Amino acid sequence: MAITSIKNLKEFSTNNDRFEGAHLLCPGCAHSMIVRELMNCTDDNLVISSNTGCLEVSTAVYPYTSWDTSWIHIGFENAATAVTGAEAMYKARKRKGTLKDPDAPVKFVAFGGDGSTYDIGFQWLSGAMERGHDFTYICLDNENYANTGGQRSSATPIGATTSTAQAGTHSYGKKEKKKDIVSIMAAHGSPYVAQLAPNKWKSMAKGFQKALETEGPCFINTVSACTTEWKFDPKDTIHITDLATDSLMFPIYEIIDGHELNILYRPKNIIKVEDYLGAQGRYKHLFKPENKHVIEQIQSDIDKKWDMLQRREEARI
Amino acid sequence: MSITGSTVGTDKRGVRELGGEEKVGWDEVQQGVVLNSFDGTTEGAAFLKAEERNYADFNSYTATVASWRIIKPVYNRDICIDCQNCWVWCPDTSIISRDKQMLGIDYDHCKGCGVCVEVCPTNPKSLLMFSEATDNDEALAGWPVKEKKEK
Amino acid sequence: MAKEFDLNEVEVWDGNYAASQALRQAQIDVVAAYPITPSTPIVEGYGAYVANGYVDGEFVMVESEHAAMSGCVGAAAAGGRVATATSSQGFALMAEVLYQASGMRLPIVLTVVNRALASPLNVRGDHSDMYLGRDSGWIQLDAFNAQEAYDLPLCAFKIGENLDVRLPVMVHQDGFTTSHKAQNVYPLKDETAYNFVGDYVPVDEMLDFTRPVTHGAQTEEDWHYEHKAKQHKALMDSRPVIDEVFAQFKELTGREYKRVETYMMEDAEVALILLGSSVESAVLAAKQLREEEGIKAGIIAPRCFRPFPYDLVRDALDVPTLKAVSCMDKSAPGGAMGALFNEVSAAAYTTSSRPLISNYIYGLGGRDFAIDEAKRIMKEQKAHADAGHITTNIQQFSGLRGPKLGFYETRRS
Repeated sequence: MAITSIKNLKEFSTNNDRFEGAHLLCPGCAHSMIVRELMNCTDDNLVISSNTGCLEVSTAVYPYTSWDTSWIHIGFENAATAVTGAEAMYKARKRKGTLKDPDAPVKFVAFGGDGSTYDIGFQWLSGAMERGHDFTYICLDNENYANTGGQRSSATPIGATTSTAQAGTHSYGKKEKKKDIVSIMAAHGSPYVAQLAPNKWKSMAKGFQKALETEGPCFINTVSACTTEWKFDPKDTIHITDLATDSLMFPIYEIIDGHELNILYRPKNIIKVEDYLGAQGRYKHLFKPENKHVIEQIQSDIDKKWDMLQRREEARI
Repeated sequence: MSITGSTVGTDKRGVRELGGEEKVGWDEVQQGVVLNSFDGTTEGAAFLKAEERNYADFNSYTATVASWRIIKPVYNRDICIDCQNCWVWCPDTSIISRDKQMLGIDYDHCKGCGVCVEVCPTNPKSLLMFSEATDNDEALAGWPVKEKKEK
Repeated sequence: MAKEFDLNEVEVWDGNYAASQALRQAQIDVVAAYPITPSTPIVEGYGAYVANGYVDGEFVMVESEHAAMSGCVGAAAAGGRVATATSSQGFALMAEVLYQASGMRLPIVLTVVNRALASPLNVRGDHSDMYLGRDSGWIQLDAFNAQEAYDLPLCAFKIGENLDVRLPVMVHQDGFTTSHKAQNVYPLKDETAYNFVGDYVPVDEMLDFTRPVTHGAQTEEDWHYEHKAKQHKALMDSRPVIDEVFAQFKELTGREYKRVETYMMEDAEVALILLGSSVESAVLAAKQLREEEGIKAGIIAPRCFRPFPYDLVRDALDVPTLKAVSCMDKSAPGGAMGALFNEVSAAAYTTSSRPLISNYIYGLGGRDFAIDEAKRIMKEQKAHADAGHITTNIQQFSGLRGPKLGFYETRRS
């Protein structure tokens, strides 16, 4: 595979973007930062699929496409199946000799938001992973159904307010904890699973390249800060993501072959989750005295998870 | 049309307002709603800079979202260290970099989010936000000087 | 290179095996499938070909019918021949993606073994699933027996992949009565069958990297209507292509298919219009009525359910002697007259003969429909014809236990 140099940003910036402007994503949206970076990680041809969601409705609205590569969208739930169908066709046609250019290198990539990955497309994703297709699935995790105005998904963290799990006089927002998609995907025996963040561009690029290079079904969960539904100023997307990774709300790590865990980023100064929560409107209500226990719970969950990740890494099992 | 931040690009860049395209009849729409990224064939966009590509009218490159912008980033070449932070984090493919050098801003596709300014590490910053109405030369003329670190 | 399958001039195959052989001979690039009764043996049969070197393409066993059709759409957009099989609940689960396949103009072939839809759950054959697909934008062909379950998929690839059509095609056969009933089938040699179907010609394929394409774009109020109109026109315009492919198939095999099959309609006074495996029973019944009672009975059987053959149904009905017709719907009508009744009536309204048309619901959940019942219904049509108006309820139920059930009476006298 033709991987591009990610030695430093100057080298990286010599890549020719294949994701075009005048898409309809919100100003400051992290989705396109992540998509651009993925596409800049390789010179190979790409066949990309997207589930219905912010990315899809913003990049392929007739008569415009923002994609300079092959791209397909079918439904909300089936991007993994669409791209693995194309991958199966590639294998068949390569065997039969009907490809126009059988030597052209190609990678198959699916994008889904957390709604389509954690919830409605979960079965399709699981099936595609189990079948062992050679593809990479990237979840753009903004922790809610942002495309439809911010409803709760199973990726929404406890305590966040969304339109269908609202904070109010009798509620502190979502009551349930976020689904651990990374563990679930690792449990599929995938050769490469990771959680990455765009503020750490280099570890993200490394992870993307590993996934693209690894044969078999790979899964990457990326934190995609949502200026609209997390309620922060569009200019602060990277700043908020810094708070997410430095508070360990979003630890950056990879799991190889379903078991070998490596932590990819250790904050020099781990910040309190309060600093992360306090920077976003969706958690504002947690700072009321009656909801303080939720913040304590989130912090305690983070601490436990970080401890677990470190032990897993140390154990090398 | 907004002012041009950089001359690098094709004459197709940002020529149409979204929704401003000709509304053809049923007999002329694309079969199967298929959109081509480029006219004719291409040797692969990964190996071509934007200005070397033959963009199809269906490519959003040919559209502009400049009207979304209320504030805009202005770029000061004199201070820039070409770190490419703005390039890697721009969500709108609107930082024009060529051969490791930052050349300017694609004002046809920039939505004015301000991320580039936030991630700019120089002191003073090489990118600053101004109101859309501000003249770029005026903005550059009044550029702030280096901030001293507070003791 | 796929092995050649050793075939006799005449084989004893059931409809499922016949369909699976046709799929094998078309040398499909990707089959993405999920098993469901009664179409499972199509998938199993294909799996056996894969396991034994008779297929060069990919066989992807997915985790649901929705994924089966999703995989088919992704594969078809990547520029190759694609097919799958399903029935009933699986068909219903696929429904979302059926519309996407046709809207994206991807010529997938879906062999549907017709089965009732729950609730209550039922594995037997009726046409509920076929009817569910009628607005999905697919071409729908109907096989009445095992031979046709073999012949029509071969035609389906050639029709759907025609560059003037580029639409997905369903080939229906009735669950159990056709799918599991062994009959004599005359197959083509592998090479002859493949040459008839021809090589797949990719259109806007995702694997031509010199021409990147976006599939599945969104259209809102400025564009959606034009796209749907264009798609509808393609479906309507597939009629002459279907006729042409059937003509070529006749030339190759001597077996003749028409978008609307008619039997003894030249001088018919009464007729039944029906689909599927019941057609053969009805034809026998009509022959017996002619011989035994001198009733001039005929049968009209749409071979092509979509695009609805308004033209040929009208031709079939525009017989000066024709007085009364019953449309037989093998699907729970859900608070309306049967779909076949409604569509045939609309076609008949613009004929000069304007026969009396009534509606029977029959055969739901695999309820038997025998020759005697077909004769009884045609005799009832004769009574309508003699009276000059419909003497019963317009909608009735055939083979139903309990008090007589019927709805609406005619206002024609």
